[in-house]
Amino acid sequence: MVKSVEAVVIVGGGTAGWLTAGTIAARHQARMKAGGLSITLIESPDIRAIGVGEGTWPTMRASLERMGVSETALLRQCDAAFKQGGKFVGWTTGAADDAYYHPLMVPQGFSRVNLVPHWLREGAPGSFCDFVTPQGRVCDLGLAPKTIAHGEYRALANYAYHLDAGKFGPFLAKHCTDRLGVRHVRADVVGVNQDESGDIVSVLTPQAGQIAGDLFVDCSGFSALLIGGTLGVGFKECGDILLCDSALAVQVPYDTPDAPMASQTIATAQEAGWIWDICLPTRRGVGYVYSSRHASEEAAREVLLRYIGARHRALPVRKIPIRAGYRRRFWQNNCVAIGLAGGFLEPLESSAIVLVELSAKLLAEQMPACREVMDIVARRFNEVTMYRWGRIIDFLKLHYLLTRRTDTAFWRDNVDPATVPDRLKDMLTLWRYQSPWFFDELDRLEEVFPAASYQYVLYGMGFRTEVRPEDTVESAADALRLVQENQRVTAEMCARLPGNRELLSKIHQYGLQPV
Amino acid sequence: MTRIVPLNKQAHRDLTVDGRPAAEYGDNQHFVQVVVEEFPHLVVHYPILFGKEQSTGQFFCGAMLGFIEGENQFLEDWRRDPEFYRPLSLQRAPFYAHGPELAIDLDHPRVKAGGGQGLFTEQGQPTRYLQSIIWAFQDLQPGIERTRIFIARLLELNLIEPVAIEAEFEDGNLYKCEGLYTVNREVLSGMPDAVVVELFRRGYLTLMQLMVASLKQVREMARTKNARLLKHTEGLAGMRQGSMG
Repeated sequence: MVKSVEAVVIVGGGTAGWLTAGTIAARHQARMKAGGLSITLIESPDIRAIGVGEGTWPTMRASLERMGVSETALLRQCDAAFKQGGKFVGWTTGAADDAYYHPLMVPQGFSRVNLVPHWLREGAPGSFCDFVTPQGRVCDLGLAPKTIAHGEYRALANYAYHLDAGKFGPFLAKHCTDRLGVRHVRADVVGVNQDESGDIVSVLTPQAGQIAGDLFVDCSGFSALLIGGTLGVGFKECGDILLCDSALAVQVPYDTPDAPMASQTIATAQEAGWIWDICLPTRRGVGYVYSSRHASEEAAREVLLRYIGARHRALPVRKIPIRAGYRRRFWQNNCVAIGLAGGFLEPLESSAIVLVELSAKLLAEQMPACREVMDIVARRFNEVTMYRWGRIIDFLKLHYLLTRRTDTAFWRDNVDPATVPDRLKDMLTLWRYQSPWFFDELDRLEEVFPAASYQYVLYGMGFRTEVRPEDTVESAADALRLVQENQRVTAEMCARLPGNRELLSKIHQYGLQPV
Repeated sequence: MTRIVPLNKQAHRDLTVDGRPAAEYGDNQHFVQVVVEEFPHLVVHYPILFGKEQSTGQFFCGAMLGFIEGENQFLEDWRRDPEFYRPLSLQRAPFYAHGPELAIDLDHPRVKAGGGQGLFTEQGQPTRYLQSIIWAFQDLQPGIERTRIFIARLLELNLIEPVAIEAEFEDGNLYKCEGLYTVNREVLSGMPDAVVVELFRRGYLTLMQLMVASLKQVREMARTKNARLLKHTEGLAGMRQGSMG
């Protein structure tokens, strides 16, 4: 007899749990309304969400829009702000003027012409970012990605969000339960019942009794209750590649409520790691990600204080361990791990939440009709997710690998060939002679970091690809037009866009229109 | 500069205002705010659309008068025919509402021009001109609030969508009017019966139909503009020929 999948049970209610619930529910509303599918989310009444992720990717706009979330409500209720990319300070040489952008807009005409060879042919004038996109300039000027006249989720410049993850979970919870029919159970999971095949039949809670399901999603965070605890799926450490293993986080108030707000995540290289700096409307989130093998906690605290200013000495600092790595399988039996239960990496490129979105979307789209086909879907899910973790690790490592800093053991150890994945070594060898673009390996339908991201980091950090002059001839006219177009768009956007803080204040006052 | 003062029949006994349409009086606008009460008058001449207030992003209803900023294609019609319907927000200038009373901007070019019509008769009664202004405000003031509620309901029902207006002209220019919105007919046709009845009873169905019908005026405006451009080009060609001869 075919056993159809009708009850999805999500264990854990942080950002991962609620994004997964909302994504599946939005995709399967009709089935849910017809009684063919139920989604239950079990959230412990006591456990506070980790709330590490304050940075998202532009995919979040599509995810929220699909769920029917009002962007105005998000910006008002989650202390959210616009994010237009990352600015990496001090990563290449550590000199005073050492900084580059990884913006969220792809280079002009990216799908038609690869501008890298043209930029290099001209002798790499100015920054690569400014050559191909307006967004670096827009960030430099402190401008927002849109105007008050743009409808929700619409913009001139591509953007994501910086948000308060502690507020984001409850915000999504309300939307999912009020609008999307997700059942919310506040209870602690204290036991798990499995059948003889190892499949999870139900979970036991003191508050709500047995909760049975056909498919379980483990969003229980670091504890990995089901995927690790119950099903015993192992963990693949990658601390040998990414050396940072600790973070110290602090919330820094603004001096004045109308202080300017950057719309880029600022990542500033330090002696034994790097400091993130994220502007939310009411405060900044700052944290030092470091390697405990290269700095003591005491030394790390001093570095953090030096960055935020000694007058903030009294602010509470929270320590977060970073165990870099991921599960050897993400889907085992009838259980899928999404979020921290699946793995964790330093937040250098805000990969945590985007991976949750991509996993939730894949699960929603590939929702197995019955237990009989689940293993096929699981195999696919595991293959894709494994690939994604591999590429994220490569991409993060790339930031360290291209450094020319030799001032501390941390930076010297980071370029040790023994710490570099083979695949990344191969790609770097290849990229000496051709730049990453289409037809590269990074060409999957939903690549976490597309070739454009690699271009920004490589050429932002001074990497050089040898270009044969003849190779740029065919596309020279197109490239020239695109570069001029970029100059025109840059001027127009710089003239038209309001200040980042100014726009957020207006949105708090008037709201954005739905269209 | 503006100098707005409450209208007063003693103080402004001898004041005159030139109420005729003219570019220099501020009528050179290509999109002006209108209220729902005006829709039946507007629909025979102008496209009625939604636009957004630049500083707040809030929707308003507007009549399109031209394809580019500062261009009002209807000025000639207005000058030729005083009965040709002019949107109230232009008709009313230089007057403002001041509670239930009127106020006037003494620095407005219509006043500064020094000619035009008086406001009060010798008996201190409003002249025909001032009376027309008073009537305009009787429509305009409650109309603004009614229009706001109309828009809010349409937004709730997802009935507003962006519209791309493009026109190519004889001078080789392609005009794209951005930031304009209209009624989403697809969503409207899929509305549940109960909502359709509500929209009908509140008069919103008629208003939406007027807005949809008014889109036909875009073509008319483009035709008129083209005809003028052609006339202009022919004129130039004639001049060139003349000078050659």
